Amino acid sequence: MLRIVRASALLIGALVLVSWWLTRPQALTADDLPQHEPDSVAGQAVFWAGGCASCHASPVEGKRAKGEAKLRLGGGAELDTGYGVFRVPNISPHETAGIGGWSMLEFVNAMQRGVSPRGRHYYPSFPYTSYARMKIEDVMDLKAFLDTLPAVEGGAGDHGLAFPWNIRRGIGLWKRRYLTQQNIVELDSVEPAVRRGQALVEGAGHCGECHTPRDRFGGMLADRWLGGAPNPEGRGRVPNITPGGKNLADWSQSDISFYLESGFTPDFDTAGGSMVAVQENMAQLTKSDRDAIAAYLKSIPAIE
Amino acid sequence: MPDNKYRFPLFLAALALASSVFADDDPRHERHELMESVGEAAKPVGEMLKGEAEFDADTLLQSLNVWKDVGGQFGGLFPEGSETGMGTEAAPAIWEDRAGFEKALAKWQAAVDGAIEAGPDSLEAAKPVIGPVFEACKGCHDNYRIAEE
Ligand code: HEC
Ligand code: HEC
Ligand code: HEC
Repeated sequence: MLRIVRASALLIGALVLVSWWLTRPQALTADDLPQHEPDSVAGQAVFWAGGCASCHASPVEGKRAKGEAKLRLGGGAELDTGYGVFRVPNISPHETAGIGGWSMLEFVNAMQRGVSPRGRHYYPSFPYTSYARMKIEDVMDLKAFLDTLPAVEGGAGDHGLAFPWNIRRGIGLWKRRYLTQQNIVELDSVEPAVRRGQALVEGAGHCGECHTPRDRFGGMLADRWLGGAPNPEGRGRVPNITPGGKNLADWSQSDISFYLESGFTPDFDTAGGSMVAVQENMAQLTKSDRDAIAAYLKSIPAIE
Repeated sequence: MPDNKYRFPLFLAALALASSVFADDDPRHERHELMESVGEAAKPVGEMLKGEAEFDADTLLQSLNVWKDVGGQFGGLFPEGSETGMGTEAAPAIWEDRAGFEKALAKWQAAVDGAIEAGPDSLEAAKPVIGPVFEACKGCHDNYRIAEE
């Protein structure tokens, strides 16, 4: 009897140890940062590609921020998801309310490893699983740009999540499975434009977060990459944007590029829903970057 | 094979159903058709802006006149009782915030009038007056039109 108790105590102890080990945050160290002089002008382009404003800009009178207001990153927006409500934090350079006091390493770890300065896991509702694919230098440039923005007071409340989603440590296991710096699509094309498009779409642009369906643990299904998904906002579907998509099959590369620039489809219907904010960000990129995204979308496997 | 004597009533019923669905004078149908024509008229203008077609002042004016015409009728096509049904993509906000909707429409009409008045004779002259017209399309769609699917 005693033996069984002792054995199970040992087993439980071992399990606790293993899960503690498996769920521990894995952060970069100062040695992992390259020699790079952060460039805030380059960082501005990264900011628009990354769509930070879509989530972090403080809403104005309860509505989505527009124009200049997109640069006031006081947070406060609520993301209503199947797991509960996420309240988006303040990432303005405010010393206390925002991330003004953060070091470069802390910022890179948040963006690419999903680890907070206090060593806790972030929820993947902050799309670091995509940002993990960005070049570290781009992330450093981005911080330099964020540092130039207005400091905004105030912050968001706590997330409204139910058990077990409210336990951050559990995210560690999830990350072991889903957090990777690898490209998603193996491309045949070595054209620089297609490669550039791949970096933008799979990395900073985090297009897959909405356009790719997820498994039951919330990880993206790589073999259905950009193949269309249920709309997290509840109504309808986010469309398939592979060459097999209902609309995209008929769109030329310049149609896609024009859509990202202007918000108009080839039928001159307008982008709607959550794509409006994405498109407004894409309009801030250079034409060659939009063309690169279009070239990539034309090169990936068609999902029917 | 259904019995012959049922055929005629069935045919009538189908006809009645079809005409209620496709009734030309139903405002939901009419406003949808009008917006389709607005989109059609935008295509040649878009081609010019994208550099896929030569600039042509007459083509541009034709499109502007389609929009002016639609702008004059559109506001009257949202009576009480036409909020839903027939696949309408008009958003409930039109009825909840009629003043805002009218304002969005007026903004578009003003932009169209401005472009007609300017009568641009080159792509360079056209761009700054067409820009506000397209911005006004989006301004209305963002708030008063439901995204498809
Ligand atoms: C889809 C919405 C979304 C987008 C887009 C987004 N974020 Fe966030 N971000 C969040 C959420 C939600 C959190 C909170 C995560 C948590 O509490 O675990 C967060 C947290 C953060 C944090 C940690 C803040 C803190 O106080 O600990 C930083 C830094 C951050 N985001 C930076 C960015 C940057 C830079 C971008 C653009 C490249 C960006 N985010 C884009 C939703 C988003
Ligand atoms: C926040 C969620 C979200 C993100 C992120 C997102 N999209 Fe979308 N996208 C949508 C939705 C929703 C639609 C449907 C819009 C509509 O109904 O008009 C859409 C539509 C599109 C379309 C038009 C497809 C069609 O069939 O009409 C293209 C092209 C597109 N997105 C490309 C992209 C690219 C490229 C990115 C990354 C830079 C991206 N999207 C990121 C939500 C998103
Ligand atoms: C004052 C508001 C308003 C303005 C301005 C406006 N639209 Fe619309 N549009 C709508 C509404 C409402 C619908 C949905 C109609 C429906 O299906 O009932 C719509 C639908 C459409 C459609 C889809 C039609 C279809 O086949 O389903 C297209 C295309 C379109 N608009 C293009 C445009 C373009 C291009 C412009 C500017 C040149 C424009 N719209 C300006 C309100 C507006």
